Amino acid sequence: MFVIEFVFLIFLVSIFAGIFGAIVGLGGGIVVIPVLTILFGVDIHFAIGASIVAIIGTSSGAASTYVKDKVTNLRVGMFLELASASGAIVGAAIAAYTNSAALGIIFGSILLISLVPMVIKIGEEIPESPELKGLAKRLGLKGSYTEKDGRVIEYNSTRPAEGLAGTAVAGVLSGLLGIGGGAFKVLSMDIAMKLPMKVSTTTSNFMIGVTAAASAGIYLARGDVDPLIVAPVALGILVGAAVGARVLLRSRNTTIRKVFAVVLAVAAAEMILSALGVLP
Amino acid sequence: MNLRDPDSMNVVIGKVLRYGVILSGVIIILGTVGLIASNGLSETASYLNYNPNTIPHDGIDIDPAGLFHGLVTFSAFSWIELGVIVLIATPVSRVLISVFLFAAEKDRMYVLITTVVLCLLLFSMLVTPFIPGFHA
Repeated sequence: MFVIEFVFLIFLVSIFAGIFGAIVGLGGGIVVIPVLTILFGVDIHFAIGASIVAIIGTSSGAASTYVKDKVTNLRVGMFLELASASGAIVGAAIAAYTNSAALGIIFGSILLISLVPMVIKIGEEIPESPELKGLAKRLGLKGSYTEKDGRVIEYNSTRPAEGLAGTAVAGVLSGLLGIGGGAFKVLSMDIAMKLPMKVSTTTSNFMIGVTAAASAGIYLARGDVDPLIVAPVALGILVGAAVGARVLLRSRNTTIRKVFAVVLAVAAAEMILSALGVLP
Repeated sequence: MNLRDPDSMNVVIGKVLRYGVILSGVIIILGTVGLIASNGLSETASYLNYNPNTIPHDGIDIDPAGLFHGLVTFSAFSWIELGVIVLIATPVSRVLISVFLFAAEKDRMYVLITTVVLCLLLFSMLVTPFIPGFHA
């Protein structure tokens, strides 16, 4: 294949990845990595390097819309970034002493198990808002956003410590494998903190750029970020993220939850299959 | 703009992110156009096997002098690299600016939280790649 075709095809795939990544709050890496490795035969190191750029692009590209429209909860995001940023450093520190195949199977299985609460809540448009108390109250972890039909959704959050713990797992996973943090961030906000689905995915989307930037240094230093691969990935992702953000704002929470559940199942399967050596 | 207005934080952060991605996108487009114009895309793909030592244009040059030399000599790859670096810097700038926005709101708790996040982020990006034993 000639390089110009390769670059154009990667651009098209990345648009698709950006749309999905922006909606589910995971950042497009789960599309970019298997497409680059399986369809284009790109080495996994370059694919992960491209995925880091894809995640940062989806995050910043979509968040510019989500933040302006106040769907992202800035305080929740910044509070949880304490855990994801610390976790990423811990993950980097213990990476040499861990078995990445075992990790993939363990974390992949946790994601599969977390499909259960997702499916149980599959028809839930807006969760019953918990009483704001304790740490969540002191940290101001509440908010409101406006739906496309003009309804103002006011919500509180609960169990910030559990949210922090789940996000720390997300950070460790990103530091260890370079991938996979977004799913744990969405699950922490959805299952533990009881935020509306849109708030969870857009706040995760807001945070994953910082987590990915935290690990960008090592991938740059190793030479894993190839300009020829990341140029079409970045451009496609930015186009896709802009489209995805508009789609999310017009979608129902129940629709986003269904899409997220499917993507979660695919992400878990990808993680387990690559740990088993079936996928690159 | 009144920075004490609670909505101003969303406006400012939204703008920082938007300008960051637009700037990065424009630079990457220029680099890619330059690459096509210089016929740099006519060869077959050579980077499918991971070997940073033998592939000439592999990996982003993080050595500032090397990157600067590439930019002033209009190397298309160096311009793409600059665009990617701007993209990576965008979320970092967002955290930095949040510190000042929370300070303007006189929200000490969140000034502290975002300052800690910024320190952790910079440590992770700039220090951990060079600590032996980190990152396997």
